[in-house]
Formats: sequence, structure tokens, C-alpha cells
Amino acid sequence: MLRKKVTEDSPARDEEIERIGRELRHAIDSRFSRSLSIRELDTGSDNAVEIEINNLLNAFYDVERFGITFVASPRHADLLMVTGAVTRNMENAARKTYDAMPSPKYVIAVGDDACDGGIYKGTYAVLGGADKLFPVDLKIPGNPPTPTQILAGLLALMKNASGTS
Amino acid sequence: MTHPVSAAADALCDLFGETNISSRITTGQGNEIYFSAGEPEFEAAIPYLSAHKFVLISLFCAEGFARSGYTLFYVFERKGSILVLLRNITSQAASIARIFPTAAWFERECRDGFGVEFDGAFDNRRLFLHESYPDHLHPLKKSVCNLPVTMKKEIDITDEYPFRRVEGEGVYQVPVGPVHAGIIEPGHFRFSVIGETIFNLEIRLFYTHRGIEKLSEGKLPRDCVKIAEAVSGDESVANAAGFCMAVERFSGIVVPDRAWHLRTILLELERCCSHLGDQAGMLTDIAFPLGASQFSVLREELFRRNEVLTGSRFMRGMLCIGGTSRDVDTAQLTELAGFLKEFRKRYKIGLKIVLSTPSVIDRFERTGIIKKPLLRPLNITGPAARASGGRVDVRINHPYGLYNRFVPALIPLKDGDVLSRFTIKAAEIMNSLELIGQVIDQITEGSIKSDSPVSDGYSLALVESARGQNLCWVRVKAGVIERYKVRTASFCNWLAIEHAIAGNILADFPVINKSLNLSYAGTDL
Repeated sequence: MLRKKVTEDSPARDEEIERIGRELRHAIDSRFSRSLSIRELDTGSDNAVEIEINNLLNAFYDVERFGITFVASPRHADLLMVTGAVTRNMENAARKTYDAMPSPKYVIAVGDDACDGGIYKGTYAVLGGADKLFPVDLKIPGNPPTPTQILAGLLALMKNASGTS
Repeated sequence: MTHPVSAAADALCDLFGETNISSRITTGQGNEIYFSAGEPEFEAAIPYLSAHKFVLISLFCAEGFARSGYTLFYVFERKGSILVLLRNITSQAASIARIFPTAAWFERECRDGFGVEFDGAFDNRRLFLHESYPDHLHPLKKSVCNLPVTMKKEIDITDEYPFRRVEGEGVYQVPVGPVHAGIIEPGHFRFSVIGETIFNLEIRLFYTHRGIEKLSEGKLPRDCVKIAEAVSGDESVANAAGFCMAVERFSGIVVPDRAWHLRTILLELERCCSHLGDQAGMLTDIAFPLGASQFSVLREELFRRNEVLTGSRFMRGMLCIGGTSRDVDTAQLTELAGFLKEFRKRYKIGLKIVLSTPSVIDRFERTGIIKKPLLRPLNITGPAARASGGRVDVRINHPYGLYNRFVPALIPLKDGDVLSRFTIKAAEIMNSLELIGQVIDQITEGSIKSDSPVSDGYSLALVESARGQNLCWVRVKAGVIERYKVRTASFCNWLAIEHAIAGNILADFPVINKSLNLSYAGTDL
């Protein structure tokens, strides 16, 4: 019982992530009663952004320690994280997902294509960026944005959210 | 006129006699043989090719290739040779899906894109154009401009996508998606289940159809590399390589040796990232986070390496027509080699933890079996095929770049279950690490890009991506892209899951799905 805990060293301590994380933790504690539930929605991404969002859960970032949870249902979500341009084939499903979320709700667009349609803007197969379907509170550009950039974007939104309401 | 001895040329000689065909064969720069077949010849060729174990690896359509109408390109592969049968049509053709099952999706794709009707096809449902698209829109026709379209406001019940009906006592349906529970791409799965056991699965995809092929048309070839990279995020390098290779082949561009060394390093790094992600995902899906985190940590380290080497975690923007867009200095490469040596040791530790855990083996073994006889009819390739005894690897069957010099190991497994796919991916990671080491050892200084211009022409290119055989066909006319056809390994491999899942329990679906690691974006285009 008094033996040293069996654990491995943390792979790397990235001061930038720790700083963003601490601030994020603080903002989430005060604004969202300690937990921010995120529903991820791919409306036509090329899967690179999904990979980076998934990477937020690996041991380098481990964002659950900052109060962030990715949830399986939009009904449990405070925030919708949209990736990819909105394709015509996903339009309905995307709208239903947004509608299923309880208010108040936030939407962030992650990646160039979700921000404004990116390289697909104005073509037959897409409607455009996420803001063509619902109000978007924050856009995080990038092809794809890195996990750190996504985290920094979340922090910006949380700070803004704490300030305004 | 002499022809290279190949299964494709032999088949044509055998079918139509050498004197008849010798003047009608054209050999493409990717060593593919093009043969324009009249309708009776085509009808004779199809059963022959099926009987002689040719695999239909792609079927695509192009407009304006012949003097008028459409041209269908039937791409067959056998023993390292490729035969492309050209079939000129006005707007109708006989279906071959009953003989070559892979043709079912290909034909539906051609029908949506160009409005080509296939007589006798057993499946005439739309594929990438879902219900809300207007009825007579065929976006890949040259007469259709790539502009926003007015969608149907109301979807009539008769327009709804009819799923296969599975009926019987105790059979019920479980619809899943398009929006899934995890952080994953969209797609719909329609399970018919008896108790816990899956009786039938039908997949419906193309939710992320974003018009990649149409988007490329009219663009300068060099501007199209980033479109190729957007086909599937985790195959950015492979698809960019396929596109560049096709253009380089018909333009006669010789890629400098150093550039090919760099490309090979990137291609193999991408394979490692992809396989590590699959392995971590498979372990997450059976609730073994201790094992999963071993691999996700290693994968993150690779992503960070990618960024140091190329400026992008997905190595985007690195490949260009004629070589690579920038160099990596030798000191960095030496450091990479050292890093990978350590990496290899740590990877083996992770592997040992996983493979010595009985509960892991229990979940993986005999789960989601793909039987070997399915490989050829469905053109299943990549680790999914090699785990089921398939001896297929583009790097070996159709070597490109430096794969003649740096030959990957091909040691197929036989069982075809999740465990085999996990194990084969482990072997491939080890092999890729070794290949990268060899390439770094032998890289020499020199130019990284050829300045030869792109000319008009067309060519086929095959690349072994992490998921298997990716095919691309590019035609440049008047300096711009006339047609860019890309068919990723996932497009064919997706159908394997309908077979792998039958008889398994619903709770095993995630791990079976992850073990095949199919790209939605790369299929939906």
C-alpha cells in the first residue's frame, strides 16, 4: 500500500498545452459547472480534422483532465464541433443534429472547409461552411488545425462565453 | 510489333488472335495495356477474363475521350499486369456486375456521374447522389457546370433509399448513422439482427460526397495536388503520390533520385501513422486503454516528427509534380533514423503488452473473418487482404519509385480475423520502419525536383496506401485537368465488411470496422 505508484512517466510535458489547459479548466469550471460536453459532427471532412480531434484525447493532450468530454449524443452536448464543408448529402443529418442539442448551445467550425467551404466553396456538392446551416460562434481555420490550435480556439470561446452572459 | 509478355497481352492474344490485336494495342506509360473493344469482342472478353482470374479493379467513365459519347474504362489486373478495355458507348451499356461483383458500385457511380444506364444491372439505386439531389442531374457530364444546384424541397416516399429487406421470425433492424457516436466520419449502417447476432448488414455511404473529381476539372495539374491530398486526410501522401506519378508518366518527367527517396520515407511514415491509429482504435473498441495508449503516444510522436520534417502533421504540401516541394536536410534525416530505432524498441514493448493479454486475444480471435475466396471478386486489397492470405501489395506487384530497390516483405496470414489484421499491421509497421532506415542510409545529395513541363496525355497510376491499392487515372488536355479519376482501396474494401460481420454480435461491430479502417472520405469523394 505504501509502495510507489506503478505508473509510467508522462511522454512529454508541453508547457503551452498545460497553460491553455489550466485556463480552460478555470473557464469551464466557472461557466459550465466543471464539464463541457462536446459533440463532434463531420459534415463532409476529409478525416484529417477528425484525427486531430481524436488526438486531443491521447496522453500528450488528455483534455478530459481540463473538463472536456466528447459525448455520443447531441442531446448531451453543450457545444457542436463541426468539421468539413457541409455536403448536400449531410445537410439534413447536420440540421437534425443541431436541432437535437438543448439550448443554450455553441457551435465551432474546425478546419478551413468548415469555416467557409474551403476548396469546395461554390460547387455542386456542398452548401458551404457550417455557418450556412446554423450560427457559428467560432471558426478555427487550418488544413487541418493542430490539436493545440483547436484547444486554443476552445479557450477563446470559453473566455468570451464567460464574459458575455 | 512485339509486346511485353504479360498476362494481359496473353489474354488478348488468346481471345482475338495475335494478328488481330497487335496493331490495336496501346501501352500506357504506367505499363497498362489499352484495348478498344467492339461490343461482340467485349462480350467474349468478360467471361474469359473472369475464368482466367482477372480482377476488375476499376471501372470509370470519361466524356470526350472518343470522338463522341462516353468511354467506359474497364481496368483489369492479373499477375502484375493491367488491361484496360475501352468501351465506347452513347449512353447505355450491358452490366457486367453479375460476373464481376465489384462492378456493382462502379456502375452505379458511372450512372450517377454521367447518366449511363447499365442494362441488366441488379442494383440501379443511386450511389453518391442521395435523395435530395434533383432527378436528372449528372454532375460529371461536361455540359454540367460545377455550380450550386437546387435541391428537392420534399422527398417523396418513393424516392427514399430502399434497403434490402431481410425478414423472418425474430429479425429486427438496427439503423446506425449517418452521425455516429464517436469522433468519426458519417455513414449509415443498416443491421438486421436476430438476438445479438448480426444476420445481415447493408452499408450506405457517400454522405461526405464533396465532388472531388468535378472540382479538379479545368484546373492546372499543379493546383490539383492539394485536391488529391484532400481525398482522404490520412492518405494525403499516397493520393498525392498517385496523382503526381500519373502526370509525370505521360509527361515523361523523370523524378530525381533524392525526391523519390524523400517520397518513399513519407509514404512509409504515413503507413505507420495509419496502422498505429488502427491498432490504438481496435484496443479502444475492446476497452483496453492500457494497450491503446501505447500506440496513440507513439503515433503522436510520429505526427510531431512529420511536422518537423515537412511542416505539416499530415505531410501535406510536400509532394509536387516532378518531385518534392522542399528538401529535408541530411542532419534531420539522420536524427529521424536514430529516433525510429528507439521507436521500434518501444513499439515492440507495446505490442508485447497487447499480445500477451488473454482478453485481447479472446476478443480479436475468430472475430470478423474475411474469407479468401472473397478477395478477388471484391478486389479487397491492403492489410485486409494480406490478413486473409492474399498476396497483393502494389509495391511488389507493380513496383513504383524505389520499391524495386527497397522491396517490402510480403508474408500473408491466413485466418482473416481481427487478430490477423492486427498482427499483419504490426508486421507492416516493423517493415516500414526498416525500409525508412534503408532509404535514409542510401539517400544521396541532389536535386529534389525536375523542371520538365507537364504535357497533355493520360496515364494510370497505382499506389499502395496504408489501406491498400489506390488507383488514379489522370487526363490532361490543353494544359488543364480533363478527368481525374481516383479509386481508393476503401471503395472496394468497404463491401468486405458486409461479409465479415455476418454471424458476429453487434457489440463486435466497432472493432471489426476499426480493424478494416475504411475511409469514408476516400470512398465518397
